[in-house]
Amino acid sequence: MALLEVKELVKSYGGRNVLDGVSFDLEEGEAKVVMGPSGCGKSTLLRCLNLLIEPTSGSILLDGKDITRPGADVRALRSRIGFVFQNFALYRHMSVLDNVTLALRRLKKVPRREAEERALHELDRMEMADKRDAYPAALSGGQSQRVAIARALAMDPKVLFFDEPTSALDPIMVREVVTLINGLYLDNVTILCVTHDLGLAKHISDRVVFLDQGRVYAEDLIENLLRRDDPVIEDFFGEG
Amino acid sequence: MSFIEILQILLQGAGYTLLITFSCAATALVVGLAIAMARELGGAWISAVLSAWVYVFRGVPMLVLLFVVFFGLPGVGLDVPPLLAMMLSLGFISGAYLSEVFRGALAAINPNEVLAAQAMGFTRFETLRLIKLPQMLRFSVPGMINELTTVLKYSPFAYTVGLPEITKQAMALVATTMRGIEIYVAIGLIYFAIYRLLLSFVRLIEKRYAVPGFAEE
Amino acid sequence: MLDAFPFVADVVSYWPQIVRGLRDTILLSVTITATGLIGGIVIFALTLSSKPVVRRLTQSYISLFIGTPLIVFLFLLYYGLPNLGVTLSPFVIAVLGFTFNVSAYNARYLTIAYKELDPAELESARAQGFSRLQVFWLITAPQSLRMSVPALTNQAIQNVKDSSIVFLIQYIEFFAQMQEVASRTFLFFKTYLFTAFVYLLLVSVVVLIARRLERRLAIPGMGVSVGA
Repeated sequence: MALLEVKELVKSYGGRNVLDGVSFDLEEGEAKVVMGPSGCGKSTLLRCLNLLIEPTSGSILLDGKDITRPGADVRALRSRIGFVFQNFALYRHMSVLDNVTLALRRLKKVPRREAEERALHELDRMEMADKRDAYPAALSGGQSQRVAIARALAMDPKVLFFDEPTSALDPIMVREVVTLINGLYLDNVTILCVTHDLGLAKHISDRVVFLDQGRVYAEDLIENLLRRDDPVIEDFFGEG
Repeated sequence: MSFIEILQILLQGAGYTLLITFSCAATALVVGLAIAMARELGGAWISAVLSAWVYVFRGVPMLVLLFVVFFGLPGVGLDVPPLLAMMLSLGFISGAYLSEVFRGALAAINPNEVLAAQAMGFTRFETLRLIKLPQMLRFSVPGMINELTTVLKYSPFAYTVGLPEITKQAMALVATTMRGIEIYVAIGLIYFAIYRLLLSFVRLIEKRYAVPGFAEE
Repeated sequence: MLDAFPFVADVVSYWPQIVRGLRDTILLSVTITATGLIGGIVIFALTLSSKPVVRRLTQSYISLFIGTPLIVFLFLLYYGLPNLGVTLSPFVIAVLGFTFNVSAYNARYLTIAYKELDPAELESARAQGFSRLQVFWLITAPQSLRMSVPALTNQAIQNVKDSSIVFLIQYIEFFAQMQEVASRTFLFFKTYLFTAFVYLLLVSVVVLIARRLERRLAIPGMGVSVGA
């Protein structure tokens, strides 16, 4: 049984199907990248998986339990999925440490002392422990993203979702973050990452789920995909 | 007396309300511009004095100032007619607030444009008139609208110095008919209607003078 | 200014009622600032409701109270409520009237600040599992409030000044007391000038507190968009 099973996921707005029957699995410890041209539905897909967007039809199973059924515990679901956003989305009125401990203290009711220990452990892993008292405004893009990852990890999630984690960063910071996520990947953290950055994809994943117009166009190892003589795929990657 | 008849009586006061509002607003505009220009052109001393002036006029309640002017000045030999008293109190206070709006607007002007004008050979006065003033006024539109509606909302106090505007009519009506709720709801609606009319009117003017491509504050 | 001395003597002789008046002015100002702030937060929360009907009603409420004179609403309550058989003390009427009015303005300021918030932060909080109420309490409200400090403290200053109008609904506070002093001493000019000066002092105290609050509560790196 895979950790995450997506079956025929459909999301329509008006008459248009942004997601038109997406199916794939994610095993525990696996890392997959979702890629595809703009408008293929990749961001929508990610947000459907933790029910930030309500799917129109289809099913999503986390640990065998169908979360699209009415009455599913959304809060429990979201605490098992760590979400890292493109623009970091750090709470700017709180210090770095408070950012990381907030969910632990308010949702999991972990006492402050213990929450801060766990937070510092993750911040340390991301090499940001010395910035615990800094505010997001004082951090660079790369630093912010590292704090965002630490914040997601602090809740001890079963899987990490990344939504274009490097799109808002300059090339040097991109290398920073790619190295970090690569480290997580090597640590066998389960990862689902939406990106259009091929360099990132190569460093952090086993397979690519290639979306086109709301459907899974192909799913394969990166090298295999690139070797395919396919016009849609070649169009996206720019070269053969 | 029907509701319609009540409305008709109240609307007689509307003319005074508009007169008071526009007189005080005009005073405010003159005072506000004068202060803003004096601060732009004057030296450190003038700015300091005017800052103090603005602080005082922003810190004193309008009704108190009205009483100082209307009930107090006669004691030192100056008899002030009611409308003038309103202009000297509400008008001057609003003028102080406007001068701050103008100050902020002036600070938002791109300094490079001023430098360019000076490089072309314009004097301080000409730069002020041709470059700074037009932009300052455009940036100040939201603040000026705000002040205008504020003046409208403080105009009822004119009744305390005898001006027969809407609120005075209302009080007389309540005294005779004892239908407080209807009457005050009615004048509330009238004021609200005038408020919306003023807003629409000003927005129309704003559109007419808008410069294409000029950023909206 | 030797004739200032009789004035000072008069002030001293009326001292007890002047102090009472001051006390009542401060009591009213503090009360309406508090209720107006709480009311403002509640109304602001309502503007963010998921139900369109609630949102529209709330916007109309705000529009109505910002667009009508405060004194008219106070008169409506003062002269109108007895017709409905409801008798309330002038203080309660004043607090009621001011609260409706002030909370509309505060809600407007908070709404303006809210536009500067980063929606990704709110989405992130939802993604972490926080409920809508929690997102409001932990992210939306703290950020909006801290960004609105200049506007909210300005409102507090306005409250102190506007408290001077309640003598018109028979609440006897400082200004009302000073009017009596003036009419007894016939020193209208000096008395009212003194009154204005005292209000200036009260306002200055609030200004000092406001500046300190602004410094402490400013969010690092976030520009203040709502101001004096």
